Amino acid sequence: MASKALLIGASLAALASPALAEPDFTGSWERYPQAGETPDPKYAPTPIPNPPLKPEYLAKWKEHEAKLAARMAEGQPAGDNYVKCLPDGMPAMMQGMFPMEIFQRPEQINITQEAFNQTRRVYMNETLPRWDELDPTFYGRSVAHWEGETLVIETTGIKENVQFRWTPHSEGMKITERLHLLAPDILRNEIVVEDEYLAQPWTYSYTYRRMPGYKLLEYVCEDNREYVDETGMARLRIEER
Amino acid sequence: MNLKNLTRGLALLSFAVALPMPALAHHSFAMFDNSRSITLHGKVSKYQWTNPHAYLEVDADQPGGGTKHYTLEMTSINMMSRGGWTSRTVKTGDVVTVVVAPLRDGQAGGLVLEVTLPDGRKMLPGVPNAQNYKRTS
Repeated sequence: MASKALLIGASLAALASPALAEPDFTGSWERYPQAGETPDPKYAPTPIPNPPLKPEYLAKWKEHEAKLAARMAEGQPAGDNYVKCLPDGMPAMMQGMFPMEIFQRPEQINITQEAFNQTRRVYMNETLPRWDELDPTFYGRSVAHWEGETLVIETTGIKENVQFRWTPHSEGMKITERLHLLAPDILRNEIVVEDEYLAQPWTYSYTYRRMPGYKLLEYVCEDNREYVDETGMARLRIEER
Repeated sequence: MNLKNLTRGLALLSFAVALPMPALAHHSFAMFDNSRSITLHGKVSKYQWTNPHAYLEVDADQPGGGTKHYTLEMTSINMMSRGGWTSRTVKTGDVVTVVVAPLRDGQAGGLVLEVTLPDGRKMLPGVPNAQNYKRTS
């Protein structure tokens, strides 16, 4: 009887210990470094390389290169979604335009980006469906599991028109993220994008820093006065008097 | 590595590090002329606290008398909140001075670079890379 209790106790301990090893990412985070801030080299993300598209897709992407360079120089996000009052979707929302909030439970993790109230839901220890079993969406379907202290999130089912840096992709695109703490308040996200449009996986990373006590603000795209005219120029609707 | 190379190395490094900075605003500000500014003084007819951007509608005093209406864009209210603005920072009827990067297309509008409130406080709406907008007014 005693040995059985001991055995149960040991099994419970064995079950409990991996859970104890899992870090808690719950809280508010901001992109690190912020504009004008010199990052600690230990935590600085590497610059995002151009997407390694296959030659047949690269030619069209190059049309956007000048636009991309101009946006980067302006300190603006790349892409046209915001001008249309649309959210980033995946993987662009993980660029952390505004602060983001992680809500972690053992069976589900929600990640909300303040800009456009974007929320993705990550289901723990489920199998990732095949892309053609899903209706494509902005955030796709995400499942995750722990590998030690690293959270590995796999995502697929992203709409073809939901693009990061104007990078075309198929509905079969798969995004794998590995999130782990570099320090108690510094979170790294290593991203790998795989798709038949790419000659090789597209790999880049972000760093986020905790914002203790920060409460995410509401964001509703209520009155967008910017529009793109027939020549492709961004314009402003002014109030006529 | 000698000092000259080190300096150059550091300069290149800081350039490389500057590129992946988080973007701070939402839409393209390319429609505003960043090579010059205008300074408007007048009465606020509306201070619109909305996303994606906030707006300030101003009836600006004209040199020969009378006023001209300007639609002035700011940034996301989320950014402005974090920068110290609230939905009550400006009120209808306030007389303000506004430094503006004007619209390139000649319409009576622009991007707010700085607002001086009736009590003399100067507020910045957090335009990304604001240092790239020339103040000529």
